[in-house]
Amino acid sequence: MSAAYERTKGSVNSLLELREIRAGYDRITVLHGIDLRVAAGQVVALLGPNGAGKTTALRVAAGVHPVTSGQLRLAGRDVTGANPGDLARAGVCLIPEGRGVFPNLSVRDNLLMMTFTGRPRAEIEEIAFARFPVLARRASMPAGTLSGGEQQMLALARGLATDPAVLLLDELSMGLAPLVVGQLYEQVAEIARQGVAVLVVEQFAAAVLGIADDAAVMVRGRIERRGHPDSGLRAELAALYLGSSPT
Amino acid sequence: MTSSEPRADRFTRELAVLKIPDPAAGRAGLWLRLGIALMVLGLLLGAAAYFLSHNTSDALVQRDALALGLSGVTSSVVGSALFLRYSLTGFLRFWMLRQSYDIALLADRLFEKDIQNEFSSTDSAPR
Repeated sequence: MSAAYERTKGSVNSLLELREIRAGYDRITVLHGIDLRVAAGQVVALLGPNGAGKTTALRVAAGVHPVTSGQLRLAGRDVTGANPGDLARAGVCLIPEGRGVFPNLSVRDNLLMMTFTGRPRAEIEEIAFARFPVLARRASMPAGTLSGGEQQMLALARGLATDPAVLLLDELSMGLAPLVVGQLYEQVAEIARQGVAVLVVEQFAAAVLGIADDAAVMVRGRIERRGHPDSGLRAELAALYLGSSPT
Repeated sequence: MTSSEPRADRFTRELAVLKIPDPAAGRAGLWLRLGIALMVLGLLLGAAAYFLSHNTSDALVQRDALALGLSGVTSSVVGSALFLRYSLTGFLRFWMLRQSYDIALLADRLFEKDIQNEFSSTDSAPR
């Protein structure tokens, strides 16, 4: 169990905290009072089957989805209802499912777009290319021609360009080979070690549980189980996905 | 990371000065409905003032009707302003989204055409 995991037991060190969050779409409630906490330097995995409400929880954490009740707290301050743009400027970075890169722009231009944060182009490229050397080799290629893993690397690099304090990742492994997923999660762990609070939403748990300090399992908008990602949690997850009791 | 201050501390400091708007301020729908209600109220007040002034020859009552009519005009003007403000915002937002989508679509089409041209110009095989 990491030091970050120990720290999160007190809410003071939590950079991100969801308290009794209820949210939904029109009259359909998707989240039924979820509690979640991520400390600086910690990776928390939010797992669960399709339709459990994981992405909605992540969008609530980024401030882009309104809550019907509950609190979104960042670094101990209640920021429920704050402008998502302001939260992003403060250091909340959401990397959505589907990567969100501009396919018709080159890798370099995709990174250039992140200069809106005030960081110089050279610094953004230096950080991105040092962490993902493959992007340096593909710098002038259109992002749409990169492999899925490389596009995900580019999305991560763009996220890092914002100098995030809280990183929210949605389905990082979607459509990628296990080897590539492993490499990406190694980078995520490295980012967390630099003091970034990372919340990862995943449907396929195997890769993320290898690096997570804490995990929560969501089913039908409720957190059914949470704890350190040990073998017990893995068995329970398998049962939840397959719809049977763990043996 | 140009600063030597830990990121989490900087995050805490930046959040401390973050202004969080009153959630009520975001209720555009409520303002839009209020605008419509005020416009309707303005018309009703105008009609009421008309009938009030025409059913009497008493100058005092007619002055009351005049005041009522002016209130109706004020209500309609304020209602129209609110309606325009909040309906236009929604429309412009939609229009911008549509523009953004169209431009992305156009860029994709041009990009595909570019790639096809590139392949056909480098292909020396007889057709």
